[in-house]
Amino acid sequence: MAVRHARIYLVAFVLHFLLILAVAAHDTLWLIGHGLTILPKFCQPGAEKAERFTSTLLAQDAPSTNPLRRGLSTYLHLAGIERGYGYFAPNVPVSYKLVLELHHVDGTMDYEVPAGSGAATELRLASLLDEIGRTRNDRLREYLIKMVARSVWREHPDVSTVCAVFGLRNLPTVEEFKRGTKESYEFLYAYEFSRANTSSTVTNP
Amino acid sequence: MMKPRKERLRAFLFARELDQWLGLLRVGLGLQVTLYSLAVQNDWIYLFGGAGEGLNGRALSEGLLAADSPLVPRLGWLISVAGFAGISESMALTLIWWTLFVAGLWLFLGFFSRGAAIAAWFSHLCVAKSGGLVAYGVDNFMTIGLFYLMWAPLPDRWSLDWRRRGKAQATDPRLSGFFRRVLQIHLCIIYLTSGIAKCLGSGWWNGSNVWRALTRPPFDVLPPEVLVHGKFFFPLAGAFVCLLEAGYPFLVWSRRTRLSSLLAICLMHLMIGLAMGMYLFALVMIILNLAAFGPEFSFRFEKIVPGWVKKGLAGTG
Repeated sequence: MAVRHARIYLVAFVLHFLLILAVAAHDTLWLIGHGLTILPKFCQPGAEKAERFTSTLLAQDAPSTNPLRRGLSTYLHLAGIERGYGYFAPNVPVSYKLVLELHHVDGTMDYEVPAGSGAATELRLASLLDEIGRTRNDRLREYLIKMVARSVWREHPDVSTVCAVFGLRNLPTVEEFKRGTKESYEFLYAYEFSRANTSSTVTNP
Repeated sequence: MMKPRKERLRAFLFARELDQWLGLLRVGLGLQVTLYSLAVQNDWIYLFGGAGEGLNGRALSEGLLAADSPLVPRLGWLISVAGFAGISESMALTLIWWTLFVAGLWLFLGFFSRGAAIAAWFSHLCVAKSGGLVAYGVDNFMTIGLFYLMWAPLPDRWSLDWRRRGKAQATDPRLSGFFRRVLQIHLCIIYLTSGIAKCLGSGWWNGSNVWRALTRPPFDVLPPEVLVHGKFFFPLAGAFVCLLEAGYPFLVWSRRTRLSSLLAICLMHLMIGLAMGMYLFALVMIILNLAAFGPEFSFRFEKIVPGWVKKGLAGTG
């Protein structure tokens, strides 16, 4: 291989791994900076500072229209390196459940839980529920839940109203399970959607 | 002093490598893409379709993506292009599914390897980005694997392309070595950061995270009544996962510990796949690990197998 080519590969290598390290470090530092780890509190300011540095390195501080930021972001997405690797870390996240109460025009009512036809879809829908549970944006949450409700609606054209109840699954620990404690459901949000596409929201008191 | 260091770095990055690792990566990712497309075939329109037929999460995912990086491929582009040709959205989605499926098969066989790798990367990326709301780890790792495969010096000697074109197409073994190093180093960073992040969570040390991971829907494949019998094993398993992931980048480079650490990490992924129902995630991780660090062992194994077969045949004869 010609040396000139080797240099090109070398430069690409350095830049590529600089980005990978910056993204991976950014995510871990975010966890430490937000006090989500077992590290003592005095580590938080340092982690926050380092996290800001990685943000700068990834041009995240620049305006969203900045060409460098957009260029970097595009490359990260193309290479699949736009996010870190802290799966189930530092701890396994909570689990959510969405129950849809279907009110039929004839006055009957039944329940439905969004589900696909296979295990692969179940995993994908769990990601969607996590997204709904994570967001602090009320409008986004309502949009996402309405999105699921509409898809169920299409399969049940005789339904006049859908009441969507979103909650947290409280899973028992090993000890609790041995004592006979079962999974419980903690209500978080409820939305009611009618055919006219209007919605009313009830939030957790 | 500088020159030898530079030379050492160059020798490390551009080590002469046979392309067996690339063959493993291509065959593995071909299988992965094929199984991935089959796994979501029944819910394809539901997951990626628009307001008329599907969840319509695509609209939001693509909107957010456009604000962040407008040049990232997405299903909306392909559906718009198909629209100009008078093809409906659902038909366009079906065609994209077939593209992904056929690209996976061709990759597996090594038929038009480069084109198949690009088609698989592009169509999978469109699916993963437009389905961002319903994506999970497997999409990330498939993008990484397909991205490297697309740039790697294809075709490899196991491919149909190699048979069709002959050895005249042989690529520089140093280039093959470079791409293998890239994959190896990337995997090491993945495990190191994942391991460190897990080590920082108390739940991995006392075993509660293992229990939670195994009982949290939709990963609750095994009934908790069965799992509870292994409660003393959870702290050990949690600590093992932390130490294995954080230690993997160090253990896998040493010749003495390479095989054991590779087997341990593959076994961990196999267990995750079986016990949590994450079959595709497990498969892609095993493929990436075997391609990066496995060829030496697989070829040692290859030498043994014919001997057994010969002995077996002699015995039955």
